[in-house]
Amino acid sequence: MSEPIVIENLTKYYNKFLALDSLSLRIPAKENVGLLGPNGAGKSTTLKILCGLIRASSGAAYIDGVSVAEKPEHALSQIGAIVETPEFYPFLTPEETLGYLGRLRGMGRDELKHRIKEVIELVRLQDWGKVKIEKFSRGMKQRLGLAQTLLHDPPVLILDEPALGLDPRGVVEFREIIEGAGKDKTIFFASHQLVEVSQICNQVAIIDHGRLLAYGSIAELEKKYQSLESAYLELTEAPLE
Amino acid sequence: MSEFEKLRIVTGYEFLKHIRRRRLYVILGLTVVAEVVVLILVPVLGDGYPDSVMAMAALLSVGPSLATIGAIFFAGDAIAGEFENKTGFMLFTNPVRRTTLVIGKYLACYGAVLLLVILGYVIVSISLLSIYGSVPIETLSSFGLCLLYTGSVLSVTFFFSSISKGAMGATVITLVFIMVISGIIDSVLTITGQPHWFMLSTNGDSIATVYGGYEAFMAGLGGMGDMMPFELETPSIGLSALSMTLYLVVGFILSIWITRRRQLA
Repeated sequence: MSEPIVIENLTKYYNKFLALDSLSLRIPAKENVGLLGPNGAGKSTTLKILCGLIRASSGAAYIDGVSVAEKPEHALSQIGAIVETPEFYPFLTPEETLGYLGRLRGMGRDELKHRIKEVIELVRLQDWGKVKIEKFSRGMKQRLGLAQTLLHDPPVLILDEPALGLDPRGVVEFREIIEGAGKDKTIFFASHQLVEVSQICNQVAIIDHGRLLAYGSIAELEKKYQSLESAYLELTEAPLE
Repeated sequence: MSEFEKLRIVTGYEFLKHIRRRRLYVILGLTVVAEVVVLILVPVLGDGYPDSVMAMAALLSVGPSLATIGAIFFAGDAIAGEFENKTGFMLFTNPVRRTTLVIGKYLACYGAVLLLVILGYVIVSISLLSIYGSVPIETLSSFGLCLLYTGSVLSVTFFFSSISKGAMGATVITLVFIMVISGIIDSVLTITGQPHWFMLSTNGDSIATVYGGYEAFMAGLGGMGDMMPFELETPSIGLSALSMTLYLVVGFILSIWITRRRQLA
């Protein structure tokens, strides 16, 4: 699929509040695309619609050509997602949680056992694999969230502020993991951390008040606005009519 | 992968959650304590155990009934908890139907309560065998009605869980609905001589009244029925079973329908 994520005229109202205003985006395969915007711009709403957690008021979202609204199970089988700060059942351990989610995705027991070990080591939770999650800090849950995202090796990653709650070392490790995984995956990554986005992504979409303000390569935006920061500040500053 | 296989996986892990939670063991303890209290207080406060094994069996049914009410504490957070604790962000982004998730959660809750109910009836049977040397055949009917009551209580709890923002709210609303609202209406209907077979609290009574109705139960306790200022009419077991089946089916279908439509914003 040349465009694994397609968003067409997505509009979302929360009662009378317009969160997304005819947003359209096409994310090419194996590209890392950052979704930038201030608080309340509509980033999380966009990702939640893509993950089938909320319904759009109008418009459509497709994963790998499959409508998320019409065939959510089929569409979700192609993604790994972190939405908001990940929360897990406190009575289960990371190994049990990953076992549960992996089995729901149809992974075989042997494959799953091997893969759980692999992703737990990748996010550096190997000493905590058999400890109940009720003892975990926010940063550790974030690491586990990343592990469950990569567990089934999906072609598309949808990440909403995935480094939130991580300590500086965790942020660096997270970036390395995503950079490594992102070589053969499509990543759609919402954040308001410009540095983080510029280090991981080669393209960005800037939105505000639910509208697309700019979409292109970081190099193009830097050329036009001198820096990504200038582009972000200039584009999100103007009040919308 | 079939949806049935996913259902099996969801049910298994949800059951594991219940086994790990302290509330299962608290309700288990309360069930045992309720039976022990009946076994101690009846001979101490009365003139020994009742002559009728049926009256004693009805008294001892308080344990399994209590276990059934415990279902509310298992199921209150089944759906509401996914939204309140935001674990739904992890669970609902998997390729599994919400219908499958709700059914799996329901079966796991039912399994956990079933363990408590079975324990309650084992205590009832052992106690009756020790005291009277026999267990009435009606105990089987009582067990069957208790299983049906468990299903109806779970469905009502799942319904309130599906519409509530928080688990605590769902648990409290369900308790108030079954124990207070249903109980008050039930009492008013009973006193005024109106039909009350459709009230969930009355349906719960059938677990005990299957041993001979309210009057036989009172008579077994030494003619206490004479002290009642009004006549107690025992609803038929068939109507109670029908009512519980309706609560079970309607509550369950509504909880699935609402959960499927509910958004995790």
